[in-house]
Amino acid sequence: MFRYIIHRLLVMIPTLLVISLIVFVIIQLPPGDYLDTMINEMISTGEEPDWEYIEFLRAQYGFDKPIIEQYAHWLFGMLHGDLGFSFEYRLPVSEVVGDRLLLTFMISYVTMVFTWLIAFPIGLYTATHQYSWGDYGLTFIGFIGLATPNFLLALVLLYFARVIFGTEIGGLMDAEFIGQDWSWAKAVSVLEHLWIPVIVIGTAGTAGMIRRLRANMLDELEKQYVVTGRAKGLPPLRLLLKYPFRVALNFFIADIGSMLPAIISGEALVAVVLSLPTTGPMMVSSLQSQDMYLAGSFLMFLATLTVVGVLMSDLALAMLDPRIRLQGGASR
Amino acid sequence: MMLIRQVFAALAVVGLATTGLPAVAGEYMEPPFLAEQVTAGTLPAITDRLPDSPMVVTFQGDYQTGEYGGDLRMIMAKQKDIRMMMVYGYGRLVGYDANLNLVPDILASIDVEENRIFTMHLRSDHRWSDGEPFTSEAFRYYWEDVANDETTSPVGPPKALLLDGEAPTVDIIDDVTVRYSWSKPNPFFLPALAGARPLFIYRAGHYLKQFHARYADADELQQRVDEAKTKDWAGLHHRKDHQYRFDNPDLPVLQPWRNVTWPPSERFVFERNPYYHRVDEAGHQLPYIDRLVISVANNKLIPAKTGFGDSDLQARYIRFDNYTFLKENEKTNGFGTRLWNTVRGSQIALFPNLNAADDGWRGLVRDVRFRRALSLAIDRTQINQVIFFGLAREGNNTVLQESPLFKPEYQSSWATLDVDQANALLDDMGLTKRDDRGVRLMADGRPIDIVVETAGESTEETDVLELIQDDWRKISIELFIKPSQREVFRNRVFAGSSVMSVWSGIINGVPTAAMSPGELAPTEQMHLQWSKWGKFYETSGQSGLAIEMDIVQELADLNEAWRVASDGAEREGIWHRMLKIHSEQTFTIGIVNGVPQPVVVNNSLRNVPATGIWNWDPGAYFGIYRPDSFWYTEDRR
Repeated sequence: MFRYIIHRLLVMIPTLLVISLIVFVIIQLPPGDYLDTMINEMISTGEEPDWEYIEFLRAQYGFDKPIIEQYAHWLFGMLHGDLGFSFEYRLPVSEVVGDRLLLTFMISYVTMVFTWLIAFPIGLYTATHQYSWGDYGLTFIGFIGLATPNFLLALVLLYFARVIFGTEIGGLMDAEFIGQDWSWAKAVSVLEHLWIPVIVIGTAGTAGMIRRLRANMLDELEKQYVVTGRAKGLPPLRLLLKYPFRVALNFFIADIGSMLPAIISGEALVAVVLSLPTTGPMMVSSLQSQDMYLAGSFLMFLATLTVVGVLMSDLALAMLDPRIRLQGGASR
Repeated sequence: MMLIRQVFAALAVVGLATTGLPAVAGEYMEPPFLAEQVTAGTLPAITDRLPDSPMVVTFQGDYQTGEYGGDLRMIMAKQKDIRMMMVYGYGRLVGYDANLNLVPDILASIDVEENRIFTMHLRSDHRWSDGEPFTSEAFRYYWEDVANDETTSPVGPPKALLLDGEAPTVDIIDDVTVRYSWSKPNPFFLPALAGARPLFIYRAGHYLKQFHARYADADELQQRVDEAKTKDWAGLHHRKDHQYRFDNPDLPVLQPWRNVTWPPSERFVFERNPYYHRVDEAGHQLPYIDRLVISVANNKLIPAKTGFGDSDLQARYIRFDNYTFLKENEKTNGFGTRLWNTVRGSQIALFPNLNAADDGWRGLVRDVRFRRALSLAIDRTQINQVIFFGLAREGNNTVLQESPLFKPEYQSSWATLDVDQANALLDDMGLTKRDDRGVRLMADGRPIDIVVETAGESTEETDVLELIQDDWRKISIELFIKPSQREVFRNRVFAGSSVMSVWSGIINGVPTAAMSPGELAPTEQMHLQWSKWGKFYETSGQSGLAIEMDIVQELADLNEAWRVASDGAEREGIWHRMLKIHSEQTFTIGIVNGVPQPVVVNNSLRNVPATGIWNWDPGAYFGIYRPDSFWYTEDRR
């Protein structure tokens, strides 16, 4: 087991190196650089760019250097914990991202807990009451949740939140609390705003999870060990939770790998529509404007989380399910 | 010799007039917002903060003297949009007034001799927002330690200061007098100082010296550079010094409000500048409003947020098609939606490519009869009614009626619907043969199927083009729309691959004779009707093509003549000649202009004009209407 973990950790290094190269190349692929994007944006709003200053910046940011040199510079910096410089914000990347991470984590965790709280009971119910009215009804609602475009739901909820509760549109708190220290009033304001993104992001995830849990449970419920358990007189709920439910959780553990990066980039689209101060919209806009070090840092961060997440879910699966063995790639 | 001070006489009739009369000291009222600091002794009293002779603003007509207080909320789409506060605040050495006359603002006065010697007189005892004196030292620091320092400005002083490559002579005469002079007349200098993005020829040297190698201790400076992760000290100096970006709360300013929020943030607060140099007759120091509060939100949410009353003054990121939604919400959310005018020469204009690579097409579009026929065949009234609710003005791509240079014939010649005359012109050219679709044939037998290329960015363009398509069928000419991506679009036009393109018209539709007529002559590659000739001018003949049409050459000559013209009357004559050529030659085919810009104004906000122009330069958007003179009624103070 220990050798296996070491092996997996070592494999990560070349993987991440290759990813960094691909990320860098893809960011550089569109014609022009950040300054060109900036110039275009200014011209389109009728603003006259300051040409001398732009030439100055070009030299300052090293855009006049060969791509290889820029890549080496970036990679070298990252290995030292220096994520580079965001052109859009004119600040080091770490300072730009810092504040947003906390709110992003908060939304993601609350959403995750929300998803579980709804999905598990419903999944269990629909599996044990297959083809009942309850099953059909909940499945129907689940499918609506899955099929409604998130951004549409977001806009509808925004509108009603404003009209009925008077909540300010967009953002994660009322404007006067932005940049203030945490206080009771600020926390209340955050809660007032939080439910919309949680519901919007949660619904799609909930629906998917209900379906998967239901399918896995249905597979297990027919198996002999369940019948045996039932025949031996185990209470139904205990039987359900102790045996088939645990087996049916495999998919859930395997999901952890994708859950980690989703915490950072999760539902960028919804966050853009709701104008949330999270990392998602920042990543999207940095990619659009070719703010390359900021975009690159995000993508590398996501790649690292994915690689680590996959390892974690592999290990967790091996621990939880004795049927899974490590003989595959590791020992060969 | 022209004294800009003379302009004041003309200003008396204007709503927002200014006079040079000094108010009597001691009559000034301390803003309650600052009273606490003054009592605590951390801030000098108002009489000690104002310059010896502050600028006194008088109000007339609908404009009234206001009261202190309140927060002005606005919404921006990006953090870096806070630079708009530098635009809206509009504290300039000289600035445009609401009628686009140049008047001294930060300067007490300016003397102009022969249009080439500019002597600027500062206000004595004027102070930066941090309380340090603003003197000619600020100009010296800029000229010697920024503009002419090899590290901070590797290419020397900015182009805007060079006249045919010649740098100005800068004399620091005394504490309050600075002189810029050139050997030839320089008509660009004052408009550059008054720009929406002005030419800053002064710097807060007392603050910036800590980032300058000539003044700062080398070790400390290196440490600051390392912390900021810039390449060298010049990078750090630039970052700290960027007055226009307005993102350094430590940098002293001369604007009505100063930024007090460090980026990154989703909400920026600007507080009143305690040392601002403008006062009203009643003894209030401007601005009336204590704070500007800018929230950053997704640009697509801004119309909705505004409609729900989350902004007190909003026009940026609001489009004409939001108008009905905003009107609907006016009553419930306590604001009014006013319609200001945009000043593009034409909201949408067609650009026949006089540099088209194809011989047949080039011959056609260079024939003035062809261009006139295309223009005459367009039913502009229909387009106005269908797309712009009849609120725009129909006509050529030219100056607007708000400009002193406007004449009705510039707007209307060859721009009124006359299908018969259009057909007659085309017949006269010998384009009488038609193919089986009924489309006219060129001399070489190809059908006149005009492909109009668009940057594919707005549905408005394609909607208009579809209407023109129907119009042109009446003169037996077919139109096809080809959308592409902006870069591709431009490159095709530049290379002469496209025959006709669509884009917006003249950028500044409200020029005065003192502003450059460069947009009417081939001076830029971005002029889509003659991009190769423009490139030739831009690169001083290195690339592009020399002008091949006499009438266009005349425009280029007139533009040169304007640059060296010695007086206003001569300049005005040149402008009119150029505008006349444009209206007769139809180099670009304008459709409608003056498309309204909705401006949302909170009902409690006073002194915001009912109508105005919404323009970058001249205009600075709200800038020329002086947001420092806007004030709130009691309920919002």
